[in-house]
Amino acid sequence: MPALSFLKSIGKNFIFLYKNNFKFRLGFTLIMILFILGFAVSPFSPTSTRTWYVVPRDRPPSLEYLLGTSSMGRDVFWELCASIGKSLTIALITALIASHIGLFVGLISGIRGGILDRFLMFISDTFIIVPGFLLLIVVISIIKSWITIPLLGAIISIVSWPWPARQVRSMVLSLRERTFVYTAKLSGMRTGKVLLFEIMPYVLGWHLVNFTNTILFSIGTESGLAIFGLSILGDNTLGVMLYWALNYYALFRGIWWWITAPIITLVLIFISFYLVSIGLSEYLHRIIG
Amino acid sequence: MYFATIFSGITLTYLLVKAMPVDAVENIIFGLTQTIAGVYDPESINKLRRDLYEIFGLTGKSPLEDYLIFIRRVFTFNFGPSFISFPTPAFELVLRRLPWTIGLLSVSTAITWITGNLLGTIAGYFRTRRFTKVLESIAISLYPVPYYIMALILMLLFAFLIPIFPLGGGMSVIPEGLSLDVILNIIWHSLLPALSLILPGALGWSFLSSRTLTLEVLSEDYTRYAEFRGLPGRYVLRRYVLRNILVPQVTVLALSLGGIFSGALLTEVIFAYPGVGSLAYRAAFAGDINTLMAVLILSMIAVSTAIYLLDLLYPLVDPRIRYR
Amino acid sequence: MELVLRAVNLKGGYSLKSSYASASQHEIYVDAVSGVSLELLRNEIFGIAGESGCGKSTLIKMLYGYLEPPLVLKDGSIYLYTKEGKEIPITSLTKEQLKKDVFWRHVSYIPQSSMNVLNPTMRIRDHFAEMLKLHAGMNKEEAYKEAEKYVEHMGLPKDVLAAFPHQLSGGMRQRVVISLALLMKPDLILADEPTSALDVINQQAVLTMLRDSQESFKNTVVIVSHDMGVHGVITHRIAVMYAGRIMEIGRTEEIFEDPLHPYTQALIKALPRLGDKAQRRGLSGHPPDLKNPPPGCRFRPRCPSYGSQCREETPSLIEVKPGRYVECWLYST
Repeated sequence: MPALSFLKSIGKNFIFLYKNNFKFRLGFTLIMILFILGFAVSPFSPTSTRTWYVVPRDRPPSLEYLLGTSSMGRDVFWELCASIGKSLTIALITALIASHIGLFVGLISGIRGGILDRFLMFISDTFIIVPGFLLLIVVISIIKSWITIPLLGAIISIVSWPWPARQVRSMVLSLRERTFVYTAKLSGMRTGKVLLFEIMPYVLGWHLVNFTNTILFSIGTESGLAIFGLSILGDNTLGVMLYWALNYYALFRGIWWWITAPIITLVLIFISFYLVSIGLSEYLHRIIG
Repeated sequence: MYFATIFSGITLTYLLVKAMPVDAVENIIFGLTQTIAGVYDPESINKLRRDLYEIFGLTGKSPLEDYLIFIRRVFTFNFGPSFISFPTPAFELVLRRLPWTIGLLSVSTAITWITGNLLGTIAGYFRTRRFTKVLESIAISLYPVPYYIMALILMLLFAFLIPIFPLGGGMSVIPEGLSLDVILNIIWHSLLPALSLILPGALGWSFLSSRTLTLEVLSEDYTRYAEFRGLPGRYVLRRYVLRNILVPQVTVLALSLGGIFSGALLTEVIFAYPGVGSLAYRAAFAGDINTLMAVLILSMIAVSTAIYLLDLLYPLVDPRIRYR
Repeated sequence: MELVLRAVNLKGGYSLKSSYASASQHEIYVDAVSGVSLELLRNEIFGIAGESGCGKSTLIKMLYGYLEPPLVLKDGSIYLYTKEGKEIPITSLTKEQLKKDVFWRHVSYIPQSSMNVLNPTMRIRDHFAEMLKLHAGMNKEEAYKEAEKYVEHMGLPKDVLAAFPHQLSGGMRQRVVISLALLMKPDLILADEPTSALDVINQQAVLTMLRDSQESFKNTVVIVSHDMGVHGVITHRIAVMYAGRIMEIGRTEEIFEDPLHPYTQALIKALPRLGDKAQRRGLSGHPPDLKNPPPGCRFRPRCPSYGSQCREETPSLIEVKPGRYVECWLYST
C-alpha cells in the first residue's frame, strides 16, 4: 500500500535525522518538553488559571510556588503551562491553514505559470510589502470583543501564507526544469500525475519546513498582538501573560519572575522550532541538492 | 510597479475592512461615547458616523462607488479625525510621529545591514575557526527571536538590572530648537530601541544571509582563481567576496523591510519611543479606527517607497545591470 | 637542454568521505595520479593527452602546487627551476609561501572553463592592475599604463580594458585570461583544456596566441587537452596519460607518425586523415574505476596485445630511444 510505505519512509527519515543531526535532536527534544508542559501537565493545575486571586499575590519563586505568583493572584508556573498550551494551539491552527494555502497556491502558480502565476505572485508580493502586523492590528482592533482562539489562529494565517507560497513556487520552478520532470511530461504523463509522483516528494519536505516556520511566525505575531492588547485577554497565552505583566508594571515593581518566565519560554520556543527547521533544511539540502 | 503594489495594498485593506460585520461601526461609536463621554456633540458624532460608513464601504451605494469613495479619501489623505486626540485629524498625528520612526528604522537598518554583511563574510571565509562556530550559534539563537522580545530582554538587562539607560521616552524634556544637547539626548534615548533592532538583525538574518551568500561566492570559479593567482586572503574577501554578495544582499534587504517595520512597532511601544508604533498602540487601545487606518496606509506607502528607492540602487552595485 | 620542472613519482588523488545519507564514515580514495614522473624543458610547448578522467587535470593542479581538498598529494616531489637558476621545491612549500613567492611569478595556471574566472564586478584593467600591484609593486597609474602597453602587445583591442567581463565574448575572455597568465612572464604556464569550450575560430585565435607568446617569451607551456588535433597543431612534445599513469612520452611528430604504446596507437588510428577513407575505429571498453584500479598494467583490459606479464606486474616508463619513453611490457626485456 503506497500510504503505508510512505509513512514508513517518513519514519525512517525522521529516525535518521534525529540520530545524526544535533540541531534537530536538540530542537525536537525541547519541543517535546514544551508540548508535554503545555498539554499534558497543564490540565493538572491545582488552582484555576483564569480566575483572579486564587493564591497570595506577588510572592517570589519558592518551593510552594515554583515560579512565584503574579499580581493577579495566580501561580505563575501553572499559568505558564496553560499559556504554552494555548499559544501552541493558536500557532498550530495558523500553520495548518497558512502553510496549506501556501502549498496550494505555490503549486498551482509554479506548475501553471503564465498569467495565473503572475497574478498570484502579485497578490503575495502585496502581502510582503504591507506590514502584516499593522494589518492585523487594524482588523483585530475592530473585532476584538468576539475573537476566539481558533479565529485568532485563522486571522493570523491571512498574513502568513505568502512566504510558504513563494517558497513552494520556487521549488516547483526549479524542479520543473529538471530533466526527470521533462521526461515524465514528454512521455505522456498527465499533469496531475507528474505533480503527484515526481514533484510532490521533494516539495513535501519543504512543506514541513514551512509549517515549522509558520508556527514560529504565528507565536511571535500572537505575542506581539497580545502586548498591543489585541489578543484574548481573558485567556492564557504567553503573549497575554506578557501583556498583563507589562500593564502591572511588573518590572518596575520588582516582580521580575512574572515577566521573565514568559520571555524565557518564548525564546525557548523560538529557538527550538528554529533548530528543527534548520535541521530539516540541512537534511533536505543534502539529499536533494 | 511601485504604484501598483501600493494600490493593491490599499485595496486589500479596503476588502478586509469591508468584510467586517455591519454593526462594527455602531460598536465603535458606542465604545467611543463610553470612553470619551461628553466631548462629542451629536453633530460631530453624526459626521463621524458618515465618515466611518465611508471607510467601511457601507454607504449603501454600489460596491464600485463605495470603493472609489474610499480610494478618493486615501489619496486626499482624508483619514478623518482621530479619536484619541479629537478633533485633530488622524493624518496629522501620524505625520508628526512618522519622522521619529523613519529615523530610528533607517539608521538601525543601515547599521544592521553593514555590520551583518561584514560579520557574515568573515564568518563564511574563516568557517573552520572556533569564533565563527560561536557566532553561528549566537545567530541561530537570535534569528527566530522577534524584535520586541529582544527589546524586553534588553530592557530587563540594561534598564532594570544595570540601570544605565532610561526606561523610555524619546527625550527627557521638550526641546526648544535643535541644539547639540537636544540631538545627543535624542540619540541617547534611541540607543536601546536601536540596539534591540540592530542586535537580532546584525547577528541574525543579516549575518546568516550574508554568510550563506559568502559560502556560495567562495565556491565560485572567480574567487578560487583569485587565490590561484596569489592574491592575499583579506583582499579577496573584500574585492571578490564582499563586493559580489552586495547585489543579492540588497534584494534581501528589500524583502525584509516590511518585517523590520512591523517589528519596530512593538519595540517603540516597549521603550515608549514617540514613533508611529506607540501611536498605533494608543489607537488600538482606544479603538481609534481612523488613526489606525492612517497609520496602516501611510506605513504601506513608506515601506513601498523605501523598497523602490532600494531598487534604484541596483545599477550602482551591479555592473551587469548598469551596462547591458 | 635546460630543465624547468622535474616531477618525481607523483601519487595523489581525491579523498572522499562516503555520503551523508549512508551514515557510515569510511573513506573512499580515487587514485587519480599514481606514480607520474616528468621532466619539462625550457622553451617548449608540452602537451598532455588522454581521454576524460585519465588524471591529466589532476596532474596539472598538482604540478601547480594548489592542493585544495579533496585533492591530496600522497607521495612524490616537484622541483621548479627558475630562469635565474633557483630551485623551488613546490611540494615542500606551504600554500601561503607559494602564494607569496611562486604563483604567477614563476608558474601560472589557466583553468578549464575560463569563462567564469573573472570577477564580474571588476573591470579588465583592474584585473591586470591588481596583479601588477601585488607582484610588481606598482601603484594604480603605473599599473594601468603597463596594462595598456601589455594588452596591445598581446594583440587584444585596447577597449577591452574598460569593459566588465560580461560585456566580452567567451573567446575574448579566454584570451584575456591567457594574457593575465603571461603577465609576469613566468617560467612555466599550465593550461587546462584552453580550447575546449570554444568554437573553431576562437580555438584558432587562442592557440595562435599561445604559440606566438611562447616563441617571444621563450617560456614553457603545458597544454592539457583530450583533443589530439590541438596537440598536433601546437605542441613540441607530448605525454599520453591513461588511468593515472603516463603511457608514452615523445616528440609530437614521432608520436603521430610512429606511436609505440597500444593505447597511443589506438588514439592516433582514430584520427581522421586527409585522403584516408578507411573507417575510423575507436577503442572498445572504458577506463578502469580508479577507486579500485586493476592489478598490473591499467590498460590491460582494453589492450589488443596484452600478455601474461601484463596482469601481474605494472610496467614502468622506460627510455627506448633518446627522448622517447614508453610504459609497456612489449618494449622492455
